[in-house]
Amino acid sequence: MNTGSNVRIGPFEIFRPVEESAERPQLNGGPPFPGKLFVVEGIDGSGKSTQLSLLHKWLESKGYGVVFSTWNSSAVVKDTTKLGKKKKMLTPATFSLIHATDFADRIERSILPLLKAGAVVLCDRYIYTAFARDVSRGMNSRWVRELYGFAVKPTVAFYFRVPLETAIGRLVAARDGFKFYEAGLDLGLSDDPTESFRLFQGRILREYERMIPEFGLTVIDATLPVEVQQAQVRQIAEIHLHRAKELRVRP
Amino acid sequence: MRQTYGKTLPGMKLTDLSGKLIVVEGTDGAGRTTQINLLKGWLEERGHAVLDTGITRSELAGEGIRRAKEGNNLGRVTQSLFYATDFVDRLENEIVPALRAGFVVLTDRYIYSLMARAIVRGMDPAWIRSIYSMALVPDAVIYLRIGVDELIPRVIFSRGFDYWESGMDVFPGQDMYENFRSYQTALLAEFERLSVEYHFEIVDGSADVKTVFAELQKKILRIVSDASQERAPSHADELATLRMKTQEAWAARLRELRASDLEVLPRKAPPTPPNGTEHPITEADRSA
Repeated sequence: MNTGSNVRIGPFEIFRPVEESAERPQLNGGPPFPGKLFVVEGIDGSGKSTQLSLLHKWLESKGYGVVFSTWNSSAVVKDTTKLGKKKKMLTPATFSLIHATDFADRIERSILPLLKAGAVVLCDRYIYTAFARDVSRGMNSRWVRELYGFAVKPTVAFYFRVPLETAIGRLVAARDGFKFYEAGLDLGLSDDPTESFRLFQGRILREYERMIPEFGLTVIDATLPVEVQQAQVRQIAEIHLHRAKELRVRP
Repeated sequence: MRQTYGKTLPGMKLTDLSGKLIVVEGTDGAGRTTQINLLKGWLEERGHAVLDTGITRSELAGEGIRRAKEGNNLGRVTQSLFYATDFVDRLENEIVPALRAGFVVLTDRYIYSLMARAIVRGMDPAWIRSIYSMALVPDAVIYLRIGVDELIPRVIFSRGFDYWESGMDVFPGQDMYENFRSYQTALLAEFERLSVEYHFEIVDGSADVKTVFAELQKKILRIVSDASQERAPSHADELATLRMKTQEAWAARLRELRASDLEVLPRKAPPTPPNGTEHPITEADRSA
């Protein structure tokens, strides 16, 4: 009698019955868990966070158990990232690795258990942000993709597509100045922060465009009115929630 | 020219790393630290500049890892990546500059310990190898081999069992002794596998300090030149140097030709065209 065996998928060892099951806690499979994972991606100023928070409100009003997880927020790794940024100690490689560490902590301690428990998890930025930024900093794209091999494939990855000038226009109006790494000043593209930011975001935009077919990102036209975008997002989310068997109800 | 295990980090030049990179590997309690301290003094006496480094000593991540470990607060993937961050920070900021300045770099553990620990914790060996593919290939990896039974008295009569060295995060139950045995046995088995793949030079770590030290000295003498007895280069030496330089130049040229596999972005990017979206990520990257 064949009873199946433990198989290593990505960094996780899981029990795998004899037949290939649909369950693969890995980038290339679908989420094997009852929960749903929606992520938003796009360059700074694309309006993705606004859209995600509107989706959040709507899901809550519908009674779903929703949890929000933001990029770069792990309690264990936070101080190290802060130190590296403050002292400008980060190289493209350590920038990449410290963010991967942060993401791993959130996957292991929050995202994965929540999905297993049947929650709807919303992520503001996901692995695609890392791919776009790290490759723009000169990291090998295959190496970075391997690095994140432990990530869970999202149910839907929304990509808010916006022309560079529109995004920059929104940001310049809203803030005074850019931070060192945010503007890609570590790359020496330009000494002027705004110009450096523009060049760096241009690279990132190109990486995003490249990833649309590679990862099947769901493109939303982020130049449309907020309400129109949100209606599209809700419609797509609803299709997936409709198919879900057992989701947590909000307590 | 120095080699990596496959990938090169952005901005890392592999030429002119004339120092020597010597790794001392072994499990917890194998005597690595003692030996490295002895070796450092000995090498300095002989006229070599020595940098000693080791796991969790990076300026960037050392403190963060220590704090997280105190709280027993690290998942397995997170741990593996936190250590990788620490390693790369030291590689870029300590090891490579020291090699460039002609130092002998003695490192207390290297990627092999990190790989063994991750694999024992259930990580995919291919995944962890891919991460460390940017590490430099050392001039020598000396492995202090010791069995679990010889290890236990050393640990008991020095610092006692440690949560992580006993694999308490890997094995169920609260029995530190049993877990130490199981965890260290698994680690040692993994080291054996790695020793073949990465050509470890094996030294019996269960012998007394003096014997082990003598063994290490013998192995290291084969790598470092005797700086105190430097002689004038002869004609034959000059020819050999010339031949080596030509070979290196050819190797460099070949690497350039194969640069599509390496994708190295210079630290200072070349002047960008006005639209600002060009950058030297190659086409090969995309098609791969």
